[in-house]
Amino acid sequence: MKKLIIILFSVVTLVSCKNKPSLQKYFVENAESKDFIAIDLGSDIINTEKMALTEADKETLKSFEKMNILAFRNDKANESNYDVEVKKVKTILKDTISYSELMKFGSGNDGASIYVVGDDEHINEFVLFANRKENGFAVVRILGKDMNPMNIMNIISLMQKSDINLEQLKPLQEIMK
Amino acid sequence: MKKIILLVLVVLPSFLFAQSAFEKFEGKEGVSSMNVSKKMFEMMSKVKVDPKDKDMQQYLNLLKKLDNLKVLTTTSSKIANEFETSVTSYLKSHPLEELMRANSDGKNIKIYIKSAGNSTIVKELLMFMESSSKDTPSVLLSLTGEFDLDELSSLTERMNLPGKDELKKASKK
Repeated sequence: MKKLIIILFSVVTLVSCKNKPSLQKYFVENAESKDFIAIDLGSDIINTEKMALTEADKETLKSFEKMNILAFRNDKANESNYDVEVKKVKTILKDTISYSELMKFGSGNDGASIYVVGDDEHINEFVLFANRKENGFAVVRILGKDMNPMNIMNIISLMQKSDINLEQLKPLQEIMK
Repeated sequence: MKKIILLVLVVLPSFLFAQSAFEKFEGKEGVSSMNVSKKMFEMMSKVKVDPKDKDMQQYLNLLKKLDNLKVLTTTSSKIANEFETSVTSYLKSHPLEELMRANSDGKNIKIYIKSAGNSTIVKELLMFMESSSKDTPSVLLSLTGEFDLDELSSLTERMNLPGKDELKKASKK
């Protein structure tokens, strides 16, 4: 009996591993697609040369690795794809074991939600998902090692302070127009 | 052993669905929704603040005790009616005490709570504010956790939640 349960468990785990659509996979699959715009930003996007960094800031930057953005631009030609893709992302994020939801906003056709991967003090990933029917949607992943909530706030404020190379973000502005 | 598993299987869904009574409104046309999870509250409570700031300390203390906050607002009277129906049916399956009922400025407010014993500790708070005017939205607010009613005003103030004045009045009683 016990053995059976163990076998069952391992089979279920194996199967679920195989079939589980991850955000990583989704990013890879769609990065090349013409409907999508993919942007990868390294930690060097925060231009630290001219800034006076405190020890805490340095710690923060160490924990931050990269930021991936995948955006879907909704124009007339791919309108039907919008619903399909939004649904796909939502299904991935519904996996509450990997992604814990922090906050969710929504109203009819727009929505935004924030998720984390990892536990409180050891966050490996932040996921931001925002969609608006007229414009499209975007998934932003902030990846790092052992980030904590304070780090995230710091990263965002550091980004604001530093002269971010906005050229890299140009394609995004196109969408939001 | 088998019985326990069966029990868990039977009880678990009711826990999972307890909060989803109003989930169907999320993402619905004409409804604005906000949902904050326990994880978020935990993280927010870890933000380091000036220990001298008593207000902030109290606020962070309260955050630790919260499980879930859901706010739904709508300006459509049709959806507001649907809110009311779901509140009524929710109360049937989850008996809550009526904390207050008020009528002012064309707003009809009802606040229900589930308290733990005789204390002022509240495990669940449900507020429904029905507005008859087009300019102010109707609001459905559900908050779960284990908190003191007195502390609540600091939350509603800081998060700038709808119906904060009414909640403030209710918690001062």
